[in-house]
Amino acid sequence: MTLQTQLVLRAMLAEPAAERYGLQLCAETGLPSGTIYPIVARLEQLGWVHSSWEDPHEHVAEGRPRRRYYRLTEEGAQQARDALARAYRPRNKPRFGPGVTWPDVSGRSR
Amino acid sequence: MNRPPATARQGSGGADPVTGLLRTVAGTRSGADAGLIRRAYEVAAHWHQGQQRASGDPYISHPLAVATIAAEVGADDPTLCAALLHDTLEGTSYTLAALREEFGAEIAHLVGGAMAADAVPGGQMAPSHPGPAREAVASADARILVIKLADRLHNMRTLRHLPPATQLRTSKQTLEILVPLARGLGLDAIRSELENLASGALHRYGPSAATVPGRLLAAASALLPAATRNRWCEEWLGELSVLPTRRQRASFAAQTLLGLARLAVILHRSAGRKQEYR
Repeated sequence: MTLQTQLVLRAMLAEPAAERYGLQLCAETGLPSGTIYPIVARLEQLGWVHSSWEDPHEHVAEGRPRRRYYRLTEEGAQQARDALARAYRPRNKPRFGPGVTWPDVSGRSR
Repeated sequence: MNRPPATARQGSGGADPVTGLLRTVAGTRSGADAGLIRRAYEVAAHWHQGQQRASGDPYISHPLAVATIAAEVGADDPTLCAALLHDTLEGTSYTLAALREEFGAEIAHLVGGAMAADAVPGGQMAPSHPGPAREAVASADARILVIKLADRLHNMRTLRHLPPATQLRTSKQTLEILVPLARGLGLDAIRSELENLASGALHRYGPSAATVPGRLLAAASALLPAATRNRWCEEWLGELSVLPTRRQRASFAAQTLLGLARLAVILHRSAGRKQEYR
């Protein structure tokens, strides 16, 4: 998992039930839009993130086009916590060696 | 969405598609030459065989829908035949001379006229050349204009299948040229539907669609899988529209373009898994 993806997940986990639009994610992570969109697209494919259009009564009242909102799915929030926990683990221990069983560096199987 | 019933039956292998058209004709006037209309349909179906619309529908569904719209406003037999045949000369080996021999000078004149009007104000009229377009329109047989309007109306009904940049260009042109034309001809049902569809499409993408960053993003979204283009384009133009300064908008567009290749790879990789839009 890339550092940028970790930043996005951490930002979303700060309020796991909240909906965020693209510019908001840019602001919360300090990442440019060109980095954010591929990440959320990938997370959406994995089922970690769900996206949907804003309700008409909100954007019509404000006189602007509707927004696309992203939020963590329940499974996504859990997966994200696990993935971040793994990513935070200290890496100064030998990863392979006698007596060391290092679980799951790929982040795939659990 | 609201496709004429005749079109919906296309490809189902069931009822004869011309029957629906003839029923529409019978609803507005009597004395139609069913044999002639059927022949025009069959010739058109022959030349469009194997061609497809952007929607994936067989191409013949388009001329059939155009003829149905023309029938709804009471068009005469030659106009209906010309509507059915209006695209047969493009991208095929069929010629105007052959068409004239088969259907007579009047129908050939209408088909040729619809094509000529197409060459100027149709597909890609540059905004810098409105003059000749308007002249071509002003000098044309009113029946040719009915065909052009019906053609545009069906294209607007199926606009969502085209790339966002084309949607924006076509909608803008529809409001500037086709809507006043329909008003001038007193075709109010066509005028109001064209107006609703075009302003709906423009509204959906917001005012930023007309700006340089907006046009860049709309054009660039053509790199994404067709099924996802509209969604991303709409999302980006929406974000653009709330950025307060020109500099921020330019920077957002530039940054988004930098990530476009990566996004395209991700989306194309899962193109098998269809993503629902809307």
